[in-house]
Amino acid sequence: MSKKGFLGGKNSNAYIVFYSTVMVVLVAVMLAFTSLSLKSKQDANVLNEKKDAIVASLGLEKGSYDKFIEAYVVNAEGEVVSTDAAATLQKLFDLPTNFAAGEFPVFENKENGEVVVPLTGKGLWDDIWGYIALEADMNTIKGAIFDHAGETPGLGAEIATAKYQAQFPKKQIYNNGEFVGVEVVKGGAKEGDIHAVDAVTGGTKTSDGLEKMIKDCLSCYDAFFKARTAAAEAPVVESTEIAE
Amino acid sequence: MKNKTFQSLTNPLAKNNPILVQILGICSALAVTTQLKPALVMGLSVTAVCAFSNLVLSLLRNGIPDRIRIIVQLVVIAALVTIVNDVLKAYVYDVSKQLSVYVGLIITNCIIMGRVEAFALSNKPLPSLLDGIGNGLGYGAVLVIIGFFRELLGSGTLFGYQVIPECFYEAGYVNNGLMLFPPSALIIVGIIIWVHRSMNKDLQEK
Repeated sequence: MSKKGFLGGKNSNAYIVFYSTVMVVLVAVMLAFTSLSLKSKQDANVLNEKKDAIVASLGLEKGSYDKFIEAYVVNAEGEVVSTDAAATLQKLFDLPTNFAAGEFPVFENKENGEVVVPLTGKGLWDDIWGYIALEADMNTIKGAIFDHAGETPGLGAEIATAKYQAQFPKKQIYNNGEFVGVEVVKGGAKEGDIHAVDAVTGGTKTSDGLEKMIKDCLSCYDAFFKARTAAAEAPVVESTEIAE
Repeated sequence: MKNKTFQSLTNPLAKNNPILVQILGICSALAVTTQLKPALVMGLSVTAVCAFSNLVLSLLRNGIPDRIRIIVQLVVIAALVTIVNDVLKAYVYDVSKQLSVYVGLIITNCIIMGRVEAFALSNKPLPSLLDGIGNGLGYGAVLVIIGFFRELLGSGTLFGYQVIPECFYEAGYVNNGLMLFPPSALIIVGIIIWVHRSMNKDLQEK
Protein backbone atom coordinates (compact mmCIF):
# COMPACT_ATOMS: atom_id res chain seq x y z
CA MET A 1 0.00 0.00 0.00
CA SER A 2 1.51 3.31 -0.98
CA LYS A 3 1.60 6.03 1.66
CA LYS A 4 -0.28 8.39 -0.63
CA GLY A 5 -3.98 7.97 -0.23
CA PHE A 6 -3.63 6.29 3.15
CA LEU A 7 -5.52 8.62 5.51
CA GLY A 8 -5.09 11.31 2.90
CA GLY A 9 -1.33 11.42 2.39
CA LYS A 10 1.79 11.79 4.52
CA ASN A 11 1.18 15.36 5.60
CA SER A 12 -2.55 15.23 6.24
CA ASN A 13 -3.80 15.83 9.77
CA ALA A 14 -5.38 12.38 9.97
CA TYR A 15 -2.10 10.69 9.10
CA ILE A 16 -0.17 12.80 11.61
CA VAL A 17 -2.59 11.99 14.44
CA PHE A 18 -2.56 8.30 13.49
CA TYR A 19 1.24 8.25 13.23
CA SER A 20 1.86 9.92 16.57
CA THR A 21 -0.70 7.73 18.35
CA VAL A 22 0.86 4.52 17.11
CA MET A 23 4.35 5.79 17.85
CA VAL A 24 3.54 6.84 21.41
CA VAL A 25 1.79 3.56 22.22
CA LEU A 26 4.68 1.52 20.84
CA VAL A 27 7.26 3.53 22.75
CA ALA A 28 5.22 3.31 25.95
CA VAL A 29 5.01 -0.49 25.70
CA MET A 30 8.72 -0.72 25.03
CA LEU A 31 9.67 1.51 27.96
CA ALA A 32 7.29 -0.25 30.33
CA PHE A 33 8.80 -3.58 29.35
CA THR A 34 12.40 -2.39 29.91
CA SER A 35 11.54 -0.77 33.19
CA LEU A 36 9.75 -3.85 34.52
CA SER A 37 12.41 -6.30 33.44
CA LEU A 38 15.23 -4.29 35.05
CA LYS A 39 13.35 -3.21 38.17
CA SER A 40 14.42 -6.04 40.46
CA LYS A 41 18.08 -5.54 39.58
CA GLN A 42 17.85 -1.80 40.17
CA ASP A 43 16.15 -2.30 43.52
CA ALA A 44 18.87 -4.72 44.54
CA ASN A 45 21.45 -2.06 43.71
CA VAL A 46 19.68 0.54 45.82
CA LEU A 47 19.43 -1.92 48.69
CA ASN A 48 23.13 -2.70 48.40
CA GLU A 49 23.90 0.99 48.49
CA LYS A 50 21.98 1.30 51.75
CA LYS A 51 23.78 -1.71 53.20
CA ASP A 52 27.14 -0.23 52.20
CA ALA A 53 26.23 3.11 53.74
CA ILE A 54 25.35 1.35 57.01
CA VAL A 55 28.64 -0.52 57.22
CA ALA A 56 30.53 2.57 56.03
CA SER A 57 29.19 4.54 59.00
CA LEU A 58 30.69 1.85 61.22
CA GLY A 59 34.00 2.15 59.40
CA LEU A 60 33.71 -1.36 57.99
CA GLU A 61 34.47 -2.28 54.41
CA LYS A 62 31.88 -2.41 51.65
CA GLY A 63 29.94 -5.62 51.25
CA SER A 64 30.42 -6.73 54.86
CA TYR A 65 26.82 -6.00 55.82
CA ASP A 66 25.66 -9.60 55.89
CA LYS A 67 28.65 -10.65 57.96
CA PHE A 68 28.34 -8.08 60.74
CA ILE A 69 24.91 -6.57 60.90
CA GLU A 70 21.87 -7.69 62.79
CA ALA A 71 18.78 -5.64 61.94
CA TYR A 72 15.69 -5.17 64.07
CA VAL A 73 12.93 -2.67 64.71
CA VAL A 74 12.28 -0.93 68.03
CA ASN A 75 9.34 1.17 69.16
CA ALA A 76 9.31 4.54 70.92
CA GLU A 77 9.69 2.80 74.28
CA GLY A 78 12.87 1.17 73.06
CA GLU A 79 11.40 -2.34 72.95
CA VAL A 80 12.26 -4.63 70.07
CA VAL A 81 9.10 -5.24 68.07
CA SER A 82 10.45 -7.14 65.08
CA THR A 83 13.61 -9.06 64.33
CA ASP A 84 12.89 -9.67 60.68
CA ALA A 85 16.14 -8.47 59.07
CA ALA A 86 14.83 -8.19 55.53
CA ALA A 87 11.69 -6.33 56.60
CA THR A 88 13.82 -3.95 58.66
CA LEU A 89 15.90 -3.09 55.61
CA GLN A 90 12.74 -2.52 53.59
CA LYS A 91 11.64 0.07 56.15
CA LEU A 92 14.51 2.28 54.97
CA PHE A 93 12.69 2.82 51.69
CA ASP A 94 9.94 4.79 53.38
CA LEU A 95 11.56 6.03 56.53
CA PRO A 96 9.37 9.10 57.25
CA THR A 97 6.20 6.99 57.25
CA ASN A 98 7.74 4.33 59.46
CA PHE A 99 9.10 6.91 61.88
CA ALA A 100 5.64 8.46 62.08
CA ALA A 101 4.19 5.03 62.76
CA GLY A 102 6.60 4.56 65.66
CA GLU A 103 8.77 1.92 63.99
CA PHE A 104 12.46 2.63 64.26
CA PRO A 105 14.99 0.39 62.46
CA VAL A 106 18.25 -0.40 64.25
CA PHE A 107 21.31 -2.01 62.70
CA GLU A 108 23.60 -3.57 65.25
CA ASN A 109 27.13 -4.77 64.79
CA LYS A 110 26.98 -8.31 66.18
CA GLU A 111 30.67 -8.25 67.08
CA ASN A 112 30.75 -5.35 69.51
CA GLY A 113 27.26 -3.95 70.10
CA GLU A 114 27.74 -0.76 68.12
CA VAL A 115 24.49 0.38 66.53
CA VAL A 116 23.61 2.31 63.40
CA VAL A 117 20.38 4.29 63.16
CA PRO A 118 18.99 5.80 59.97
CA LEU A 119 18.12 9.48 59.68
CA THR A 120 15.71 11.27 57.40
CA GLY A 121 14.99 14.97 57.02
CA LYS A 122 14.69 17.96 54.76
CA GLY A 123 17.51 20.09 53.42
CA LEU A 124 17.01 23.32 51.50
CA TRP A 125 15.69 21.87 48.25
CA ASP A 126 14.86 18.27 48.84
CA ASP A 127 15.27 15.29 51.15
CA ILE A 128 18.44 14.62 53.06
CA TRP A 129 19.17 11.36 54.83
CA GLY A 130 21.96 9.51 56.50
CA TYR A 131 23.17 7.02 59.08
CA ILE A 132 24.80 7.60 62.42
CA ALA A 133 26.80 4.86 64.10
CA LEU A 134 27.11 4.93 67.87
CA GLU A 135 29.71 3.13 69.92
CA ALA A 136 28.55 0.55 72.42
CA ASP A 137 28.12 3.26 75.08
CA MET A 138 25.14 4.56 73.00
CA ASN A 139 26.53 8.06 73.37
CA THR A 140 29.73 8.52 71.38
CA ILE A 141 29.37 8.79 67.61
CA LYS A 142 31.47 6.27 65.76
CA GLY A 143 30.79 7.58 62.28
CA ALA A 144 28.24 9.39 60.18
CA ILE A 145 27.18 9.19 56.55
CA PHE A 146 24.92 11.76 54.94
CA ASP A 147 23.44 12.01 51.49
CA HIS A 148 21.01 14.27 49.72
CA ALA A 149 18.70 14.37 46.75
CA GLY A 150 19.24 17.86 45.47
CA GLU A 151 21.29 20.19 47.68
CA THR A 152 23.41 22.83 45.94
CA PRO A 153 26.72 21.39 44.72
CA GLY A 154 29.66 22.97 46.51
CA LEU A 155 27.43 24.42 49.25
CA GLY A 156 24.75 22.30 50.94
CA ALA A 157 25.88 19.21 49.06
CA GLU A 158 29.13 19.32 51.07
CA ILE A 159 27.36 17.37 53.83
CA ALA A 160 27.80 14.28 51.64
CA THR A 161 31.59 14.59 51.54
CA ALA A 162 33.92 12.47 53.65
CA LYS A 163 35.66 15.65 54.80
CA TYR A 164 32.48 17.05 56.33
CA GLN A 165 31.45 13.75 57.86
CA ALA A 166 34.89 13.34 59.44
CA GLN A 167 33.85 15.91 62.06
CA PHE A 168 31.33 13.57 63.62
CA PRO A 169 33.32 10.71 65.15
CA LYS A 170 33.95 11.16 68.90
CA LYS A 171 31.09 13.65 69.30
CA GLN A 172 28.57 12.78 72.02
CA ILE A 173 24.81 13.00 71.80
CA TYR A 174 24.16 12.93 75.57
CA ASN A 175 25.28 15.56 78.05
CA ASN A 176 25.22 14.08 81.57
CA GLY A 177 22.47 11.67 80.59
CA GLU A 178 20.36 14.31 78.87
CA PHE A 179 19.78 14.04 75.13
CA VAL A 180 21.27 16.98 73.24
CA GLY A 181 21.96 15.63 69.73
CA VAL A 182 24.69 17.28 67.71
CA GLU A 183 24.61 21.02 67.26
CA VAL A 184 25.58 22.28 63.80
CA VAL A 185 27.12 25.67 64.46
CA LYS A 186 27.27 28.41 61.86
CA GLY A 187 30.66 30.09 61.91
CA GLY A 188 32.31 27.02 63.41
CA ALA A 189 31.93 24.96 66.56
CA LYS A 190 34.07 25.85 69.56
CA GLU A 191 37.33 23.96 69.77
CA GLY A 192 36.87 20.84 71.84
CA ASP A 193 33.07 21.04 72.01
CA ILE A 194 32.00 17.42 71.97
CA HIS A 195 28.36 18.21 71.21
CA ALA A 196 28.83 20.43 68.16
CA VAL A 197 30.22 20.43 64.62
CA ASP A 198 30.81 23.17 62.03
CA ALA A 199 28.01 24.14 59.70
CA VAL A 200 28.59 24.22 55.95
CA THR A 201 29.67 27.66 54.75
CA GLY A 202 27.00 28.98 52.39
CA GLY A 203 24.79 26.03 53.25
CA THR A 204 22.89 27.47 56.22
CA LYS A 205 19.52 25.97 55.38
CA THR A 206 21.02 22.57 54.69
CA SER A 207 22.97 22.77 57.96
CA ASP A 208 19.81 23.69 59.86
CA GLY A 209 18.04 20.76 58.22
CA LEU A 210 20.93 18.48 59.16
CA GLU A 211 20.85 19.54 62.81
CA LYS A 212 17.08 19.11 62.96
CA MET A 213 17.33 15.71 61.27
CA ILE A 214 19.95 14.45 63.73
CA LYS A 215 18.00 15.76 66.72
CA ASP A 216 14.57 14.55 65.58
CA CYS A 217 15.64 11.11 64.46
CA LEU A 218 18.07 10.29 67.26
CA SER A 219 15.61 11.46 69.91
CA CYS A 220 13.16 8.81 68.65
CA TYR A 221 15.69 6.25 69.84
CA ASP A 222 16.19 7.94 73.23
CA ALA A 223 14.39 5.20 75.18
CA PHE A 224 16.23 2.48 73.25
CA PHE A 225 19.65 4.04 73.88
CA LYS A 226 18.89 4.50 77.58
CA ALA A 227 17.67 0.92 77.93
CA ARG A 228 20.83 -0.32 76.24
CA THR A 229 23.06 1.76 78.49
CA ALA A 230 21.21 0.56 81.57
CA ALA A 231 21.52 -3.05 80.43
CA ALA A 232 25.24 -2.61 79.83
CA GLU A 233 25.77 -1.09 83.29
CA ALA A 234 23.80 -3.81 85.04
CA PRO A 235 26.12 -6.47 86.48
CA VAL A 236 24.48 -9.31 84.52
CA VAL A 237 26.32 -10.90 81.63
CA GLU A 238 25.41 -9.06 78.48
CA SER A 239 23.51 -11.21 76.10
CA THR A 240 23.30 -10.68 72.39
CA GLU A 241 19.90 -12.36 72.39
CA ILE A 242 17.09 -10.00 71.72
CA ALA A 243 14.49 -9.79 74.45
CA GLU A 244 10.91 -10.17 73.41
CA MET B 1 29.87 3.07 -2.73
CA LYS B 2 31.31 0.58 -0.30
CA ASN B 3 34.14 2.95 0.40
CA LYS B 4 31.71 5.78 1.03
CA THR B 5 29.68 3.71 3.50
CA PHE B 6 32.83 2.85 5.38
CA GLN B 7 33.83 6.49 5.46
CA SER B 8 30.67 7.40 7.36
CA LEU B 9 32.12 5.28 10.16
CA THR B 10 35.70 6.48 10.07
CA ASN B 11 35.26 10.14 9.20
CA PRO B 12 33.76 11.23 12.53
CA LEU B 13 36.59 9.53 14.37
CA ALA B 14 39.17 12.06 13.22
CA LYS B 15 38.59 14.28 10.19
CA ASN B 16 35.07 15.24 11.19
CA ASN B 17 35.15 14.55 14.92
CA PRO B 18 32.00 15.89 16.59
CA ILE B 19 33.84 17.52 19.48
CA LEU B 20 37.08 18.57 17.81
CA VAL B 21 35.77 19.77 14.47
CA GLN B 22 32.02 20.21 14.76
CA ILE B 23 32.44 21.49 18.37
CA LEU B 24 29.29 19.64 19.48
CA GLY B 25 28.61 18.08 22.87
CA ILE B 26 31.13 20.17 24.78
CA CYS B 27 28.92 20.59 27.87
CA SER B 28 28.85 16.93 28.83
CA ALA B 29 32.54 16.65 27.95
CA LEU B 30 33.23 19.09 30.79
CA ALA B 31 30.91 17.45 33.28
CA VAL B 32 31.67 13.76 33.19
CA THR B 33 35.40 13.63 32.59
CA THR B 34 36.91 14.07 36.06
CA GLN B 35 37.46 10.32 36.03
CA LEU B 36 38.12 7.83 33.29
CA LYS B 37 35.37 5.34 34.11
CA PRO B 38 32.36 7.67 33.85
CA ALA B 39 33.91 9.20 30.72
CA LEU B 40 34.12 5.75 29.15
CA VAL B 41 30.58 4.78 30.16
CA MET B 42 29.26 8.12 28.92
CA GLY B 43 31.07 7.62 25.59
CA LEU B 44 29.57 4.16 25.18
CA SER B 45 26.09 5.37 26.15
CA VAL B 46 26.20 8.17 23.61
CA THR B 47 27.47 5.72 20.99
CA ALA B 48 24.56 3.38 21.66
CA VAL B 49 21.97 6.15 21.56
CA CYS B 50 23.49 7.80 18.49
CA ALA B 51 23.75 4.52 16.57
CA PHE B 52 20.22 3.33 17.31
CA SER B 53 18.54 6.71 16.89
CA ASN B 54 20.24 7.05 13.50
CA LEU B 55 19.22 3.52 12.54
CA VAL B 56 15.61 3.77 13.70
CA LEU B 57 15.01 7.20 12.21
CA SER B 58 16.68 6.22 8.96
CA LEU B 59 14.31 3.24 8.73
CA LEU B 60 11.34 5.48 9.45
CA ARG B 61 12.52 8.36 7.29
CA ASN B 62 10.05 7.87 4.46
CA GLY B 63 7.01 7.63 6.73
CA ILE B 64 7.66 10.51 9.12
CA PRO B 65 5.29 13.43 8.52
CA ASP B 66 7.42 16.55 7.92
CA ARG B 67 5.47 18.71 10.31
CA ILE B 68 6.17 16.55 13.37
CA ARG B 69 9.63 15.48 12.26
CA ILE B 70 11.47 16.96 15.26
CA ILE B 71 8.92 15.56 17.71
CA VAL B 72 9.32 12.07 16.27
CA GLN B 73 13.09 12.39 16.56
CA LEU B 74 12.79 13.51 20.16
CA VAL B 75 10.47 10.64 21.08
CA VAL B 76 12.83 8.06 19.59
CA ILE B 77 15.92 9.62 21.19
CA ALA B 78 14.23 10.09 24.57
CA ALA B 79 13.02 6.49 24.57
CA LEU B 80 16.52 5.21 23.78
CA VAL B 81 18.07 7.38 26.49
CA THR B 82 15.54 6.16 29.04
CA ILE B 83 16.42 2.57 28.18
CA VAL B 84 20.16 3.31 28.45
CA ASN B 85 19.58 5.00 31.81
CA ASP B 86 17.64 1.98 33.08
CA VAL B 87 20.34 -0.41 31.90
CA LEU B 88 23.09 1.65 33.57
CA LYS B 89 21.11 1.76 36.82
CA ALA B 90 20.75 -2.00 36.71
CA TYR B 91 24.28 -3.00 35.72
CA VAL B 92 26.70 -0.20 36.64
CA TYR B 93 24.89 1.50 39.50
CA ASP B 94 27.86 3.42 40.91
CA VAL B 95 28.78 4.93 37.55
CA SER B 96 25.15 5.77 36.88
CA LYS B 97 25.09 7.72 40.16
CA GLN B 98 28.22 9.61 39.13
CA LEU B 99 26.80 10.46 35.72
CA SER B 100 23.51 11.45 37.41
CA VAL B 101 21.62 13.93 35.25
CA TYR B 102 24.05 13.75 32.36
CA VAL B 103 22.66 10.45 31.12
CA GLY B 104 19.22 12.04 30.85
CA LEU B 105 20.80 15.02 29.18
CA ILE B 106 22.07 12.84 26.33
CA ILE B 107 18.63 13.62 24.90
CA THR B 108 19.70 17.22 24.43
CA ASN B 109 23.22 16.35 23.27
CA CYS B 110 23.57 18.22 20.00
CA ILE B 111 25.51 15.36 18.41
CA ILE B 112 22.53 13.01 18.45
CA MET B 113 19.94 15.30 16.89
CA GLY B 114 22.56 16.88 14.69
CA ARG B 115 23.42 13.51 13.14
CA VAL B 116 19.78 12.51 12.78
CA GLU B 117 18.89 15.74 11.00
CA ALA B 118 22.04 15.99 8.94
CA PHE B 119 22.53 12.35 8.05
CA ALA B 120 19.99 9.72 9.02
CA LEU B 121 16.93 11.40 7.49
CA SER B 122 18.55 11.47 4.06
CA ASN B 123 20.54 8.23 4.05
CA LYS B 124 19.96 4.49 4.04
CA PRO B 125 19.92 2.57 7.35
CA LEU B 126 23.37 0.95 7.12
CA PRO B 127 25.40 4.12 6.49
CA SER B 128 23.26 5.86 9.12
CA LEU B 129 24.03 3.19 11.69
CA LEU B 130 27.75 3.45 10.90
CA ASP B 131 27.59 7.23 11.03
CA GLY B 132 25.96 7.00 14.47
CA ILE B 133 28.58 4.57 15.75
CA GLY B 134 31.38 6.67 14.27
CA ASN B 135 30.15 9.90 15.84
CA GLY B 136 29.50 8.25 19.18
CA LEU B 137 32.97 6.73 19.23
CA GLY B 138 34.54 9.98 18.05
CA TYR B 139 32.84 11.73 20.95
CA GLY B 140 33.73 8.93 23.37
CA ALA B 141 37.37 8.89 22.28
CA VAL B 142 37.79 12.58 23.09
CA LEU B 143 36.00 12.08 26.42
CA VAL B 144 38.36 9.25 27.30
CA ILE B 145 41.43 11.33 26.40
CA ILE B 146 40.19 14.20 28.57
CA GLY B 147 39.21 11.80 31.35
CA PHE B 148 42.65 10.18 31.21
CA PHE B 149 44.51 13.44 31.76
CA ARG B 150 42.08 14.81 34.32
CA GLU B 151 42.11 11.68 36.47
CA LEU B 152 45.86 11.16 36.13
CA LEU B 153 46.83 14.74 36.94
CA GLY B 154 43.93 15.55 39.25
CA SER B 155 43.77 12.42 41.39
CA GLY B 156 46.90 10.45 40.46
CA THR B 157 44.75 7.45 39.58
CA LEU B 158 43.42 5.69 36.46
CA PHE B 159 40.11 3.82 36.63
CA GLY B 160 40.40 4.37 40.38
CA TYR B 161 43.75 2.60 40.71
CA GLN B 162 46.70 4.57 42.07
CA VAL B 163 49.28 4.97 39.31
CA ILE B 164 51.44 7.80 40.58
CA PRO B 165 53.68 6.09 43.15
CA GLU B 166 53.68 7.11 46.79
CA CYS B 167 57.33 8.20 46.62
CA PHE B 168 56.39 11.02 44.24
CA TYR B 169 54.08 12.48 46.87
CA GLU B 170 56.75 12.08 49.52
CA ALA B 171 59.13 14.00 47.26
CA GLY B 172 56.67 16.89 47.21
CA TYR B 173 54.45 16.13 44.20
CA VAL B 174 50.84 17.27 44.61
CA ASN B 175 47.75 16.50 42.57
CA ASN B 176 46.55 19.38 40.44
CA GLY B 177 43.23 20.45 41.96
CA LEU B 178 42.32 22.48 38.87
CA MET B 179 41.99 19.22 36.94
CA LEU B 180 38.98 18.29 39.06
CA PHE B 181 37.10 21.41 37.98
CA PRO B 182 35.30 21.94 34.65
CA PRO B 183 37.65 24.65 33.30
CA SER B 184 40.46 22.12 33.01
CA ALA B 185 38.35 20.13 30.51
CA LEU B 186 38.07 23.23 28.32
CA ILE B 187 41.83 23.73 28.47
CA ILE B 188 42.45 20.09 27.53
CA VAL B 189 39.87 20.20 24.71
CA GLY B 190 41.62 23.35 23.46
CA ILE B 191 44.98 21.63 23.46
CA ILE B 192 43.58 18.55 21.70
CA ILE B 193 41.96 20.74 19.01
CA TRP B 194 45.26 22.57 18.58
CA VAL B 195 47.21 19.33 18.11
CA HIS B 196 44.47 17.92 15.86
CA ARG B 197 44.49 20.96 13.59
CA SER B 198 48.22 21.15 13.30
CA MET B 199 48.20 17.52 12.18
CA ASN B 200 45.37 18.09 9.67
CA LYS B 201 46.44 21.08 7.62
CA ASP B 202 43.24 21.06 5.54
CA LEU B 203 41.16 21.87 8.64
CA GLN B 204 42.96 25.16 9.21
CA GLU B 205 41.17 28.33 8.20
CA LYS B 206 43.16 30.61 5.95
